[in-house]
Amino acid sequence: MDVADLVFTVQVMRRLLREPLLHFLLIGTALFLLYDATNGGRADAPREIVMSEARIEALAESFATVWMRPPTAVELKGLIDDYVAEEVYYREGVAMGLDQDDTVIRRRLRQKMEFISEDIANSVEPADAQLQEFLAQNAGKFAQPAELSFRQVYLSAERRGATVRADAEKLLAELQAGRGPAHPAEAGDATLLPATMEAASPQAIANAFGEDFARQVDEAPVGQWSGPIESVFGVHLVRVDERVAAEAPTLGEIRPIVLREWQAEQRHRQNESFLAALRDKYKVRVEGPAAELFAARDAGSAAR
Amino acid sequence: MMSIEYRSPAGVAALALAASMLTVAPATSAQPSQPPNVAYGGVLDAGDEDYVPLPVGSPSPQAKAYSPYAGRKNPTRVLWGDTHLHSANSGDAFTTGTRFTPEETYRISRGEEVISTTGLPARLPRPLDFVVLSDHAEGLGLITEVYNSNPVLMGDSTLQRWNRMMKAGGAEAAAAVTEVIGAQASNTLPSVLTDPKTVGPLMMSVWQRAAVMADKYNEPGKFTTIIGFEWTPTPGGDNLHRNVLLRDGQARASQVFPFSSWNSEDPEKLWAWMEAYEQRTGGRALAIPHNGNLSNGRMYAAQAFDGTPLTRDYAERRQRWEPVQEIVQMKGASESHPKLSPNDEFLEYGIAGWELGNLTLGGKLTPEMMPTSYVRAGFMRGLEHEAKLGVNPFKSGIIGSSDAHNALPFVEEDNFFGKFPGQEPSADRWKQRSSTGTGEGDAARYTWQYLAAGYAAVWATENTREAVFDAMMRRETYGTSGTRMTVRFFGGYDYTPEDAQSRYLADVGYTKGVPMGGDLKPATAGKSPTFLVAALKDPQGANLDRIQIVKGWLDASGTAQEKVYEVAWAGNRQPGKDGRLPSVGDTVDVARATYTNTIGSAELAAVWKDPEFQPGQRAFYYARVVEIPTPRWTAYDQARFGVKMSAEVPMKQQERGWTSPIWYSPSK
Repeated sequence: MDVADLVFTVQVMRRLLREPLLHFLLIGTALFLLYDATNGGRADAPREIVMSEARIEALAESFATVWMRPPTAVELKGLIDDYVAEEVYYREGVAMGLDQDDTVIRRRLRQKMEFISEDIANSVEPADAQLQEFLAQNAGKFAQPAELSFRQVYLSAERRGATVRADAEKLLAELQAGRGPAHPAEAGDATLLPATMEAASPQAIANAFGEDFARQVDEAPVGQWSGPIESVFGVHLVRVDERVAAEAPTLGEIRPIVLREWQAEQRHRQNESFLAALRDKYKVRVEGPAAELFAARDAGSAAR
Repeated sequence: MMSIEYRSPAGVAALALAASMLTVAPATSAQPSQPPNVAYGGVLDAGDEDYVPLPVGSPSPQAKAYSPYAGRKNPTRVLWGDTHLHSANSGDAFTTGTRFTPEETYRISRGEEVISTTGLPARLPRPLDFVVLSDHAEGLGLITEVYNSNPVLMGDSTLQRWNRMMKAGGAEAAAAVTEVIGAQASNTLPSVLTDPKTVGPLMMSVWQRAAVMADKYNEPGKFTTIIGFEWTPTPGGDNLHRNVLLRDGQARASQVFPFSSWNSEDPEKLWAWMEAYEQRTGGRALAIPHNGNLSNGRMYAAQAFDGTPLTRDYAERRQRWEPVQEIVQMKGASESHPKLSPNDEFLEYGIAGWELGNLTLGGKLTPEMMPTSYVRAGFMRGLEHEAKLGVNPFKSGIIGSSDAHNALPFVEEDNFFGKFPGQEPSADRWKQRSSTGTGEGDAARYTWQYLAAGYAAVWATENTREAVFDAMMRRETYGTSGTRMTVRFFGGYDYTPEDAQSRYLADVGYTKGVPMGGDLKPATAGKSPTFLVAALKDPQGANLDRIQIVKGWLDASGTAQEKVYEVAWAGNRQPGKDGRLPSVGDTVDVARATYTNTIGSAELAAVWKDPEFQPGQRAFYYARVVEIPTPRWTAYDQARFGVKMSAEVPMKQQERGWTSPIWYSPSK
């Protein structure tokens, strides 16, 4: 599909999506088509169950998709037997009205209706201009988080007791004067905490060190040792090597994500307008004391 | 009308009934993966330009090819995920009211706030790094396919025309639909549309939809969605469930249809499906058994599903396809039972209620069933089988997961939303009966017995589908009761006590031995295995009480034994003559549902040498890290709702993590 086609498609779909009547028609069509496909084009006679070749082939194919081989003759017979049994139960169950007021069946049908609506929304391929606009409108949502690269030296309050703070101040002075060890972390206490983090987001830092530490290191100066700062683990000296502010990515950098979010929103809107359009076909009457709940508004909201 | 009769690509019998068959695991990582210059694990400072690597010399070709780990980066950051999470696409989630789609479930797992099924604002406090979902059911897609010019349909001139009209939009599109409806009514629809063989494959199944959505939310380095499903056989009420995870994207996943318990309840048939999947698509699959505690002895039984004794072939395949297992989830802990391991004082957690019987309470759990119901006992049975078969069928690592059916994988005690919508926060949820025995007696389970647990911790080299999957295949994983503690566990023969104080602990660990999930090399004369173990508390959680190592071994008579060793602990406690360590204390204020980190340690580490090692005896070792006591979710409920629960309801607990074992086998 070239760009012209794409734009054209989008225009068409935008129009389609604004057309409630069309929704009904599309839905209706889908249901009819499906009903038709289900019944092989023609309903069987009331007391007859016909296992057409096409239906059997479909059973065999379904089997093959699961087992990744065709059914043996015995298995195929079993599939047919099972299908017939299910069909018998199904028809008898429907005849007895067991499908009425069955929560599972009702919800499954509702889900299928929602699928139809979603399929329509999913068919829409937006133009870059639309995505660009969406990105601009939701800049906060798509912002790349700030990134911090830093080293830290850990001093365990538990191991050092009352001297931990003084120890930290002393070590800080040495590090700031360039007199610290070649591996600053070796001046601190052993820990599973990372000695460095590279291009880490605030969330990543909080996950590793806790939120207090993440907040403080975010305010530390760049290019020099500073601290001491406290975390739930103990006392730390930190040296921030680089701080990259949160930035707004371009569409090219994150197009799949913008598309995903755009489609999610479209689906959401589509589902709502779809339901609203369908509901308009119905007059809803709420009886009893609960009617008061709807008195001030359109009684139809009872269906929400 | 069109309910369950017509099945999309492979649905068949599977779809109609299978309630919670599919589980897909997406993964999320909030962080970028580590930079490539991290050559060693742990805290090695990649920025230290004067770090001098060990001399390499000129090894022989054989030596070069020796290490299976060569060229592999050691993992430096543990990833957190849930491999067991249900959306509205699971039948039982659906029927109990869950409305969250796979898409919404991914968003929830990434930390977005939602309104729960019962109308409560809900949010995961910290995003997950990865996740898996489960689905089954047929779907639609026909009208979209006509619109999308699907070539299968475009061979028909009428459909071609309708396609053009629909694309023209407006009145013309409406006319097309009128035509379609007319054709349907007069039975003159193009035959291609009524041929299930053609149309069937066009109807995108729920499985495929979910797979497409998984790909959309999979962001390598940030958030991983793993495609999968739950296989849910429950013969006689006994839980034999497995979650199946694929290493692949939807392009491969969509080529198959998930295997359901309606296809077969036999795990060997599931493995055959997995093997066929790999052969057909070139992809990879693994399965994660869970809830042995509800299997009434069948999870680690000495017989295969068909009742025949286990064989070497069975053992090889089980080990191959089931590299990890779930030790904890909302439906209890499966580590062991107090009656099985009477000398282990930490086994009350996650037992009450779940010990009554199998999943449906259709049969009681008898003492005879216990030795093949629980994970530790399964490891012990594995040693016994290995002695006879030459292969250990139950050599499986450990993870935890939630099994939440309301799409809310919330396992923090102060944010527990239950397993089903009906168990979401309310003043009286604790006393609701969740299931009642269908067998003898009047056994029942209650909401208060559910655990706010657990998570899967994975030492993956980066946050991608491939890396997470591969870490599970090599069992470099651990499970927790919901806390995000960091745990390292290595085994070898040369660790010294100073290694526990190393600033490059993980580096030392990988260099001198194998990580959790690995195999010790055969012992050289006079040497005993040593273990380097370290744990760092969850930065948003409680301090640590202790680290223990659980050893299981096969004694001279061929009987499996077990023992729990205290290895590292907070404070100045001394173990008694019986080896038991005094309690760490307790700061929990039940009435206010609070605790303080004034006891315990932020970090513990030790090297432990097996004092009773016998080189001729096969063994396994795993670490258990225990936190100080904290309020249980029931205490938060009591405080927040102002209710008083009955005396039997626990109000506090000690959260914990369990590592995958390291195994030892004598040289042959």
